[in-house]
Amino acid sequence: MLSFSLLALADDHAATAASLAIPAAIDAPDLRWAGLIIGLPALSALLCLLCGALKLRSKLPALITIIALLGSFVLTCMLFSQVGEGTPRVVGLFEWMSFSWGTGDRFQSFAAPFALYIDALTLFWMLFVTGLGSLIAIYASEYMESDVGKGYTRFFGGVSIFLAAMATLVMASNLVVLYLGWEGVGLASYLLIGYYYAKPSAVAAAKKAFIMNRIGDLGLALGIGLIWVNYDTVDYATLFRVLEAGPLATQGDWMPSAIPFLLMLGAFGKSAQLPLFTWLPDAMEGPTPVSALIHAATMVTAGVYLIARTYPLFELHPDALATVAWVGGLTAFVAATIGMAQYDMKRVWAYSTISQLGYMFLGLGVGSTFGAGYHVFTHAFFKALLFLTAGAVMHGFAGQIDIRKLSGLRRVPGFKLVSWLALLGCLWLSALPFSAAFFSKDTILTTALGSERSDFQFLGWLGLFTAFLTAYYTFRVWFRAFAGPVQFEAGDDHHDDDHAHDSHATASHAHAKSEFHPHGPRLGIRIPLIVIALGVVAAGWPGYDALFFHGENWVQSMMMHSSAMQGAGEVHGREIFGLSAHRMTSIVGTSACLLGIAIAYWTHLRDRSAADRARAALRGFFLTRWIPATLENRWYVDEIYHALFRLPLWVASHILHFFDKTFVDGFLVDGTGRVPVAVARLFQPLYNGVLQGYAATMAGGFVLIAGWVFWIWLRGNG
Amino acid sequence: MDPTTAKLTLIAPEMVLCFGAVVVAVLGLTRNASLRRSVPMVAALFLAVSVAACMWSYSTPAAESSGLLLPYLGSFAKPLIACVAILLVMLGGTSVDRRLEAAFESGRVPFEAVRVLRGEFHAFLLLSVAGTMLIASATDLIWLFLALELSSLPSYVMVAVGRHARKAQEAGVKYFFLGAMSSAIFLYGFALLYGATGSLQCTEIAHTLATQAATNGVSTLAIIGAVLAVLGISFKLAAVPMHFYAPDVYEGASGPVTAFLGFMPKAAGILALITVLSLLGWSGHAAVLHGQEVELQGLPAPIAAMLWMMSVLTMTLGNIGALLQRNIKRMLGYSSIAHSGYLMMGLLAGPGAGLNAVLFYLVGYGVMNTVVLAVLCSLERNGEEVETLEDIAGLRNRHPMLAWMLAIAAGSLIGLPPMIGFFGKIYLFTAVLEQGQTALVIIAAVNSAVSVFYYLQLVILPMLAHSNPRSETVTALQSPWPKLAAVIGGVCILGLAVFAQPILEAASGAFGVATVSAAAADEPTAQTTDGMKTVLLDR
Repeated sequence: MLSFSLLALADDHAATAASLAIPAAIDAPDLRWAGLIIGLPALSALLCLLCGALKLRSKLPALITIIALLGSFVLTCMLFSQVGEGTPRVVGLFEWMSFSWGTGDRFQSFAAPFALYIDALTLFWMLFVTGLGSLIAIYASEYMESDVGKGYTRFFGGVSIFLAAMATLVMASNLVVLYLGWEGVGLASYLLIGYYYAKPSAVAAAKKAFIMNRIGDLGLALGIGLIWVNYDTVDYATLFRVLEAGPLATQGDWMPSAIPFLLMLGAFGKSAQLPLFTWLPDAMEGPTPVSALIHAATMVTAGVYLIARTYPLFELHPDALATVAWVGGLTAFVAATIGMAQYDMKRVWAYSTISQLGYMFLGLGVGSTFGAGYHVFTHAFFKALLFLTAGAVMHGFAGQIDIRKLSGLRRVPGFKLVSWLALLGCLWLSALPFSAAFFSKDTILTTALGSERSDFQFLGWLGLFTAFLTAYYTFRVWFRAFAGPVQFEAGDDHHDDDHAHDSHATASHAHAKSEFHPHGPRLGIRIPLIVIALGVVAAGWPGYDALFFHGENWVQSMMMHSSAMQGAGEVHGREIFGLSAHRMTSIVGTSACLLGIAIAYWTHLRDRSAADRARAALRGFFLTRWIPATLENRWYVDEIYHALFRLPLWVASHILHFFDKTFVDGFLVDGTGRVPVAVARLFQPLYNGVLQGYAATMAGGFVLIAGWVFWIWLRGNG
Repeated sequence: MDPTTAKLTLIAPEMVLCFGAVVVAVLGLTRNASLRRSVPMVAALFLAVSVAACMWSYSTPAAESSGLLLPYLGSFAKPLIACVAILLVMLGGTSVDRRLEAAFESGRVPFEAVRVLRGEFHAFLLLSVAGTMLIASATDLIWLFLALELSSLPSYVMVAVGRHARKAQEAGVKYFFLGAMSSAIFLYGFALLYGATGSLQCTEIAHTLATQAATNGVSTLAIIGAVLAVLGISFKLAAVPMHFYAPDVYEGASGPVTAFLGFMPKAAGILALITVLSLLGWSGHAAVLHGQEVELQGLPAPIAAMLWMMSVLTMTLGNIGALLQRNIKRMLGYSSIAHSGYLMMGLLAGPGAGLNAVLFYLVGYGVMNTVVLAVLCSLERNGEEVETLEDIAGLRNRHPMLAWMLAIAAGSLIGLPPMIGFFGKIYLFTAVLEQGQTALVIIAAVNSAVSVFYYLQLVILPMLAHSNPRSETVTALQSPWPKLAAVIGGVCILGLAVFAQPILEAASGAFGVATVSAAAADEPTAQTTDGMKTVLLDR
């Protein structure tokens, strides 16, 4: 196995990394144009809004969005060529928040200017965010075409908002601006998950995503607050200086120690980790390009970005990174097991996304930001590819996505390319040796296994086992849906205009349902698919480069020149079973991958009834009966949350509602309301409409008032 | 400028209006229908000219040498009164004798000059406005009394002739008799004040009373006189205990006259009360005695206690009475009582923030009340006025603009931000709080809360409720003028809120400038003669 030499190289870097400090940022007012990377999508969002106001019925919103996103991508590339791995730059755009209060000794001020912090980590993230964003926008321009009009405009408006917010999140120079972007992507995600707002499940999913994210966001907000309280700044550059100068962990002071845990909560919410992961599978209710862009490739990696960006803060508490590692490792395992038992292709990919994100957090936790960053990069491509192929299938088969109702797609005319590209994605997801994901996953697991800490070693083994599960569930999907005999059932989404221009679906299929003709994707979908597939392959380049040409791994050096440098290299050369950790991981990982594929082949292609028999066998034996049930019910997490949180809240709200109805409304409010009315009835007879009565009453009132005055007068004098 | 010229200059706007009254009265008798139709227009024109005349007269040095106790009170109050009067003419002008005019036009009834009402109605309106304006420049008690009567007498007639209904005539008679009783009371009060001080001149009375206050205390006779005067004038405000007529008269009078009664007598009463109370000396005023400046301790305790009690009773009884009403005009009658209570609260707070807030509130109330009635006057059912709550249900479906205006006006009457009623209440309540009258503010706040109960019906019914068979027979009037009045008023409610601060400053000009001029006039003689400075001490 050659792969260990890649990691040996990493060892060299580890030695130098420890002695290096995060380079000081310099002001770069000449880079102000970088603000356009945020500005273009924001402008595009406004233009989409205008299109919506004009009730435009054309593909113009897509065109605007694609141009804006491509523009952002080109600008990002230019920025990369100028800054690259160089010194971090701070580009002030405009004053945003600036308060001061108190005077003298008590003078305090708070400033969060709208500025950009551009270092290798920023650029690394922005490259794939804008690149994939543009490609997926092109894809969506065809995918969403049946909705041209109001929905189309709304969709691209949402995508533009998302890109603007994501760019703000990644390029922010301080945590408050990051938070702005953080909430912005949450909003865009909410809007796009709930795109089919007439569908109750989509609305519920959007709400669920938003609310679960809010739980995490609360952590992030509190974390930012504590950072400001402790360090008087929210600015990255200043914060890194302060952390470098002072002692990292103040013993006995809970406030700094709480910071990493709070930030972590925000990251877990956004990146769908335990215990906040249940929103992501439901988020698949959104259109598939959204799932690919937001819920697989970019937004969900914001949590990884946050931890990589604030990595120095995670050393404030000795257990912070270990917690991240544990959460990541367990999430990877749990999500993979659930993925094994799902039948909806998009949901399988959703659980696989959660699982792969778990690997990234594991990487961050065990101290390999390089591995985590590299995995983010490779995963972004192959998972986008997988989602987009799933989308192409959905598009062609009228919304059908159930792998029990699709089979042999690679023999259906028009779906050949899609099937092979899906195979590519599947191989990469299974971490086939020498695929990009193999390098990145390997780095993470080697670091874990090579660690001195036994709990990290356990997580490493768990990760290897999860790799086996991953290979199995991935190929379960491919062998079921894309291989085997041609057989399919169309979904429910019949678009009237779809079949009119459908030239791809030709022959009638004996197995197909009556007159349904699936139609294969056209150029708008094919081109982005091919480009992303090229990206999937090319994502392995940094690995090959390091491996074969002994060059420097590009991702690693990017990490090395950023705030995540502490974890950019460390790999310990511990021996396991007489083998070095690198070699060990490679061998076991490769075997796991191949074994998983083999089992999937056996049970889902060669003999499709084998899987059902295995399930029946498990259910038949009382000790293992719980296994299929638990997996199919997603570990009952939703049910547990329901029992723990929703049910008590529901009961409490009904009790309070009853209290409100009877006591507050019934007694206090209505009771109080009745008093003036009762008084009014008391006085009613005085207004009897008789002139003499009025005159008499006035005179009486006059005497009363005069008497009162006289009494005051007497009291004053006496 | 000698005092006579100065006085004549100051009453130029009123002279314009009196002349206008004659012109309008004659014009209304003509056989020419189109000339008769132009009567409201001409009346509005004279009102506009009088606004210009106000501007002119206060730009001359007349006010300073007129011998007025509050020389600049009119500079704010008079144009305001005339402007609201223009709105009132707009909303009522075309509807006064609409049916009679229609009958003339169709030829069913031969023209009879005696039966035409339009001319005299507008003449009376202009005369009443002139009387109200004259109060602001009253230099002595006789003037004050005559001005009050000039303001009241035409309004009695207007109530009676406003529409052909026995209810209206009954209301007119009630209003007249009770009004006469109140006039008797405050005239008696004036007489006692004369007896206590030996003068009818406001400045001299103020001086004498200040001297009494600084030495042995205000004489009993003067206190009794002031009590009678305040109680009598409170009839104009429809304040407790002189409020009983208000619901009946508001209900009986025609819509435009109700709108008129909601504002004009109230403005007259408030201006008269300010004048009378300034004779007694608010706290913050300073008297110059034997060359020494003495700060007055404020209104005599019995008077302050009376105002406090009247204010509380007025707002409470007004709001409570309105709760049960189904007739909108009757409800507005009670609501007008309640608002008088708020205004009296500001009088108690005295010069400075208190009186500024009172004048500001008066503007706001005038506009809000006018809008509600303008909406009602824009609607009719078979030529009859629309006045019950059932009639406006679901108004938004048929006349969205009117429904919105009604909702805005009602929201403002509640005191919801960002409308003018909110700012009025805020200024008023803070001014009273500054005087340490916490209990009074709490009572007022509770009253505001109670008032939400009935005002909200004016929002919910037109905006949210469904039409009922009764309200579906309601149609909008042909004439655009009442609708225009409603829209202008609605815009003012929102727009004046934006300019709340400048208006408040203008209102404070009614007192602030007086300070400077009076002090300047007194300065040379202060060393030798005793005098009364109507001065706000710095606080």
